[in-house]
Amino acid sequence: MTGDRARSAAAGEVVEDREAPASPAAEGRDLIRVYLQPGQLYASAQPSAVTTVLGSCVAICLWDSVAAVGGMNHYLLPFFAGAGKGTPRFGNVAVAQLLDRLQAAGALRGRLQAKVFGGACVLEAFQARQGHLGEKNASVAFKVLEELGIPVVSRDVGGRSGRKLIFHSDTGHAWVARL
Amino acid sequence: MSRKKILLVDDSSTVLMMERMILNKGSYDLVTAKDGSEAVERAFAERPDLILLDVIMPRMNGFEVCRKIREDEAMKGVPIIMVTTRGEGENVENGFQSGCSDYITKPFSSLELLTKIESYLGEERR
Repeated sequence: MTGDRARSAAAGEVVEDREAPASPAAEGRDLIRVYLQPGQLYASAQPSAVTTVLGSCVAICLWDSVAAVGGMNHYLLPFFAGAGKGTPRFGNVAVAQLLDRLQAAGALRGRLQAKVFGGACVLEAFQARQGHLGEKNASVAFKVLEELGIPVVSRDVGGRSGRKLIFHSDTGHAWVARL
Repeated sequence: MSRKKILLVDDSSTVLMMERMILNKGSYDLVTAKDGSEAVERAFAERPDLILLDVIMPRMNGFEVCRKIREDEAMKGVPIIMVTTRGEGENVENGFQSGCSDYITKPFSSLELLTKIESYLGEERR
């Protein structure tokens, strides 16, 4: 576990951002519940609890805390460089499309903050490799967000475990359980 | 360099055929199994470099197959990529807990599958 607001976790443990309640349920609010599949993205001005499961894939959570608008993508592959528009299964496309959807929902780009999760390499034997898929996926997130000027306020990337992520779109709170 | 061997496991002949068509674009030796029990037998007999594993199958499901294979010390480092269908979020969690290395969701493109597999079987770059 790395990051400025997150603490380390063992498999099966739930970690959360420091300012978040102990668990998603502890917030006690009635939220729209969404499960995000690989290659999908979600953005809404309605308070939503967005869940996804990550291996080598990466999910970027973006939210505008003033407008209480937020969303998440979940991409499988780092970079689309082909012809046409590409799909949100690629990191660079997924970020651009999520940004468009959030702005359409009322978010201001200058107020957006980001949290980045995933990019694991579950097998120990493959972790020593430079540029395994999870690492490439995470690198794209940080590169694209830097280019867009969106600050990454929390991250939990790399490592040897899959992750279950729950993100609350209006508050930006996130919880990660190692699988 | 020796060709890498991939074990494809699915009870659907159509899915196996599609996976074969995609993976034939790479230089892999492909072996197949059509249920969980056969998957375990083929895994131990063939010693593949990677396993592409369906979840819902006759005789033994993908989680049981994964746990069985991981019991063998020599197979602990073999990448097992679970193939799920949309709406199987719980299965994905169970898959990781059973020892799967990664997952891919149907329908997938040839680029996605090849990139995922190449990331495990490609040339090591240090």
